[in-house]
Amino acid sequence: MNKKARTRAIRENLSSYAFLTPWLLGFFLLTLYPMLYSLYLSFTEFNILQPPKWVGLRNYFIMFIGNEQFPRDERFLNSLLVTFRFVFISVPLKLAFALAVAMLMNQRLKLIPFYRTLYYIPTLLGGSVAIAVLWRRLFAGDGVLNTILRSAFHLNPPAWISNPKYALYTLILLSVWQFGSPMIIFLAGLKQIPKEYYEASSVDGAGKVKQFFAITLPSLSPIIFFNLVMQMISAFQSFTQAYIVSGGQGGPLDSTMFYSLYLYLKGFGFSEMGYASAMAWVLLIIIAALTALAFKVSGSLVSYGSGE
Amino acid sequence: MRKSVSVACVLFMCAAAVFAQTVTLRWAYWGSESRIKRSQQAIDLFMAANPGIAVNPEVSGGTGDHFNKVDTQIAGGSGPDIIQMGGNINDYVKRGVLLPLDKYVGTILNTSVIDPSAIESGTIDGHLYGVSTGVTMPALVYNKSLLQRVGAPFPKVSMTYAEFRAYLVSLKSKLPAGVYPMQDIGALSSNSTPFGYWTRYNGTPLYNAATNSTAVTAAAAQKYLELFKDYRDNGLIPPPDVAAGYAETNADTSMLIAGKAAIGFIWTNQLAGYQAATKDELELIEFPGAAATKALWQAPSQFYTVNKNSKNPELAVKFINFLVNSPEAAKVLGNDRGASASATARAAGSTNVNDRKVLEYLNVSGPHSSKETDHVPNDTEFNSTLFLIYQKVAFGQISPAAGGQQIHDLIVRLIKK
Amino acid sequence: MKKRSAGLIRAAISNVIILVLGVGMLYPVVWLVAASFKESNTIFSDPSLIPKTFTLQNYVQGWKGIGIVGFATFFKNSFIICGLSVIANVIFCSLTAYAFARLRFVGRKFWFAVMMLTLMLPTHVTTIPRYIMFRSLGWIDTFLPLVVPKFFATDAFFIFLLVQFIRSLPKELDESALIDGCGKFGIYMRIVMPLTMPALITTVLFTFLWTWDDFFNQLLYLNSPAKYTVPMGLRLFVDSSGMSSWGPMFAMAVLSLVPCFVLFFSLQKYFVQGITTTGLKG
Repeated sequence: MNKKARTRAIRENLSSYAFLTPWLLGFFLLTLYPMLYSLYLSFTEFNILQPPKWVGLRNYFIMFIGNEQFPRDERFLNSLLVTFRFVFISVPLKLAFALAVAMLMNQRLKLIPFYRTLYYIPTLLGGSVAIAVLWRRLFAGDGVLNTILRSAFHLNPPAWISNPKYALYTLILLSVWQFGSPMIIFLAGLKQIPKEYYEASSVDGAGKVKQFFAITLPSLSPIIFFNLVMQMISAFQSFTQAYIVSGGQGGPLDSTMFYSLYLYLKGFGFSEMGYASAMAWVLLIIIAALTALAFKVSGSLVSYGSGE
Repeated sequence: MRKSVSVACVLFMCAAAVFAQTVTLRWAYWGSESRIKRSQQAIDLFMAANPGIAVNPEVSGGTGDHFNKVDTQIAGGSGPDIIQMGGNINDYVKRGVLLPLDKYVGTILNTSVIDPSAIESGTIDGHLYGVSTGVTMPALVYNKSLLQRVGAPFPKVSMTYAEFRAYLVSLKSKLPAGVYPMQDIGALSSNSTPFGYWTRYNGTPLYNAATNSTAVTAAAAQKYLELFKDYRDNGLIPPPDVAAGYAETNADTSMLIAGKAAIGFIWTNQLAGYQAATKDELELIEFPGAAATKALWQAPSQFYTVNKNSKNPELAVKFINFLVNSPEAAKVLGNDRGASASATARAAGSTNVNDRKVLEYLNVSGPHSSKETDHVPNDTEFNSTLFLIYQKVAFGQISPAAGGQQIHDLIVRLIKK
Repeated sequence: MKKRSAGLIRAAISNVIILVLGVGMLYPVVWLVAASFKESNTIFSDPSLIPKTFTLQNYVQGWKGIGIVGFATFFKNSFIICGLSVIANVIFCSLTAYAFARLRFVGRKFWFAVMMLTLMLPTHVTTIPRYIMFRSLGWIDTFLPLVVPKFFATDAFFIFLLVQFIRSLPKELDESALIDGCGKFGIYMRIVMPLTMPALITTVLFTFLWTWDDFFNQLLYLNSPAKYTVPMGLRLFVDSSGMSSWGPMFAMAVLSLVPCFVLFFSLQKYFVQGITTTGLKG
C-alpha cells in the first residue's frame, strides 16, 4: 500500500514535470548562463572590448560606501531615489486608473469596441518619437498646458518638462497615461468573474458599491496582485520613455535619471559593463525583496478559486 | 507563415552557396537612407570591379545603435571587418580593437593624395588606424530667414568675443519674446565641442596625449562658465529650464529648428540634415575669435577602420582605398561623410547647395584653424558629465567656481581612468 | 418604460465621459498622422496640427525604405518573427502556467520563485553573454535568437499572468473533470484552456505588440539589411550626423501602427464574450 502510494506520488511528480520541461530546458539552456555570467561580471572591471578584470567587491563598494581612491557614486544614489519616487507614485495611480477605465469599458455600450481601441492608443504608441515630441509640446514652457494656464488663469507656470523640480512628474503622468496593458488584463479578469455571482447578489438586494467590494474586488484580487507586481517590476526597470523624452540624458540635472537609464549609460556609454552588472544585481535584490513582501502580504488578501 | 520561413531558409542557403566561392567583407556603419543608398552604389561599383569580393553593409540608424551593436559583436568575437568610427577612435585603439594600417600604406592604400592633416588625425601613438571619411568643422549656424523677417543684420565674419556679445545684444532687441539670440551652446547633451573650441581659444587645450595631461585649470573652466552665465543673466541665451527643453541631439530636438533661437551650433556635416528640417534658410559662420587665434580645427567627420581580427585585412583596406580615393566612389558618395580629404576624390566635384555652403565655409574658415586637440579619453563619459556639471551651474545649484573645479577634476579623473 | 429611459440617460452619460477622456488619448495619433502628410521641412518648425501643404510623397518615398531594401521586406520579417513568437508563447507559457497553478510536484515553490527572479534582472547586462551564446550556436543574422527562446517559455511575464488567471478559476471544475476521467492534459485542454481564453487573447496581443516593438534585440542579432524589421527600418530614416528623412519616418511609423490597430480591434471582441460557466456546472 505504502509502496503503491509512493510510486503514485513519483508518477504524479513526473507527469507534472513533463508540463514544466520546456520552461526548465529554456531556463537551464538559455537563461541561467547569461544571468550567472552577469553576476560574475559584477565583480569585475569590464569595458566590453577587453577581457573582464576581477576586482572583487569594488563595484558594490563604489555604489554604497566609497573612499578617497574610489569615491562614492552620487549619481547612482540619485538614480535610486528618482526610481523609488517614480515607482511609488506612478504604480498605484496607474493601477487605479486602469481599473476604473476597465470597469467603464466593461459596460454594454454599442461603441465599446471603438472606445477600447481609443483608450489603448497611448499604450500602442509605446516609446515612439511621436510621444517625445508630444510630451514636449504639452509640457514645455510655452507648451499647450501653460498656454491654457496663462490665458485662463493668468498664472506664470514653470516649464514642467525641463524644470528639475517637475520633470519627473511629467514622466509619471506619461506612465499613468499609458495604462493600456493593466487595463486589458483587468478587463480580461472582469470577464472571467462568473455572472451568476452578480445575479445572486442582485437577488439579495446588494447595490453596485457593495457588489464592487463584495464580488469584484475579491474575485479580481489575483489579477490586481499580478498587475501590482508586474507594474512594480517594470516601473523599476523603466527605461524607454525616460530615454526618448530626455534624449537619453535623464535630464535636467539627472532629475529623470532612472536606474535603468543610468545602468545603460554606464554599461554601454561609459564602457563600465562590470559596474552596470553590479547595478543590475542590486536592482534584482531590491525588486525580489519587495516582490517577496508582496507575496507574503497577499497571502491574506488575495483569494484564489475556492478550495485553495 | 511556415511557408515563408522555409522560403527564407532556401533563399538563405542559396545565398550561402553563392558566397562560398566569394569572400564576404562586413562593413558596419551608421547613417540614414541617403547615406545607405550612396554607400550601396559604391559597394556595387567595387563589387563590379572586383569579382570574388562581396561587401555586406551592416547599417544602424545612429551612433548609439551602431556602437552598442559593434561593441557587442566584438565582445562576442564576431566583429565586422570594416568599422566606421567617430571621435571615440582613441578609446578603441587603446583597447586594442583596431588594426594598424601602416604596412598597407603605399601598396594597397594610397595616402599620398590625402590631406596630411587628415592622415595625422587618424594616426594614434605613431600608427595609422583610421582613414578619414571626409573633413568637417565646428561652426555656428544662424537662421538667415528669421533675421531677415525681424530686420536684423547678419553676423559679421571673424568677430571678436566683444563684438559677438554686442551683436547678440542688438539681436535681442529685435527678436520677439520667447525667441532668444542664441541657443545655450555652452555644453550640449552629447557634445562638448563649443567648450573644446573655447579652451583652444583661451590657450588651455583640453588634452595632450603625448604628455597625458590637460591644460584646463579650474580657473579657466570657471571663466568659461562665467562667460555663459553673463549671456544667460542678460537674456542672450535662454534660461536653464527653457534650454533643457531641447536635447539638441538632432534637428527634431533643436531650438534653432523650432524657431526659438537665431543662432545655434552644428558640425558642418550636419548642415544638410538641419536644413532639411526647416523651410528657413540656414547659414554657417565661424566662432568668435577664430581669426586671431586659429582656434578652429578641421576634423575627420568619421573614420574607416579595420577590425584587428578581420580574416581579410588586405581586402578590407583595398575597399577603404576605393571608398576614399576613387573618383567613381567619390561621385556617388558625395560629401555625405564630410567634405572629402582626398585630392583625387575632390576633383570629382559637387553641385549640391548645402555642399557648396560647407565648402565655402571651409575655404573662409579653414585658414582660421589649427591641428585638432587630442580627444579626452572616454569621450562619451566626458560629454555626459560635463553637461551635468554645466547644467548645475546654469540652474544655480553650484557656483561657477565650484563648477570649474568639478570640470577640472573630471578631466583629470578620465585621463587616469 | 421609466426604467428604460433611465437606462438610456445612464448610457448617454457614460458615452460622454468616455469620449471626453478619449480626446486626450487620441491627440498624439492625430498629430502623428498629420505629421506624416507634412513636408519634412515643416514637421518640427511649424507647430500647427493641420498640414498647410498636404503631401503623399512621404508614403511613396518611405515605402521604398532605404533604397536597397524596402518596407515590404521589413514588414514581412516583422510578421514572421511576431507570428512565431505568438504561437510559441500561447502554447508554452500556458502549459508552464498550468503546471505552476494547478499541478502538485516537489519543488514547485522553488521553481516559481526562480521563474519570478528571471523577470527582475535588467536585460542590458545579459546582452553580451546572450550574444556570445547565440553566436556559438551560429545563430547570428538569423531570426532564431529572437524566436527560439519563446518556444522554451522564457517570457516569464506571460507565465505569471496565466498562473494568476488559472488560479482564479473555481477549482471544482477540474475536480469534476477528474471524476469524469480526464488526465492532466485533458483537464488542461477541456477546462483550463477554454476558460482562460481572455488571458490567452491578452497573451496573443501583448506578445505581438511587444515583439513588434522589440528594437534592441533585433538590432543586435540581425545584420543583413534584407533581414531588418520594421522598427529597425524606422531608425534608418534618422541620423544625427547626417541627413534625416523625418517625413518618410513618420509615414512609416503610421503604417507600422496599422497591424497593431487591426489586431487589437479584432481581438477585443473576445473580451466581450466573457465566460459562461453555467454549462459546465452540471
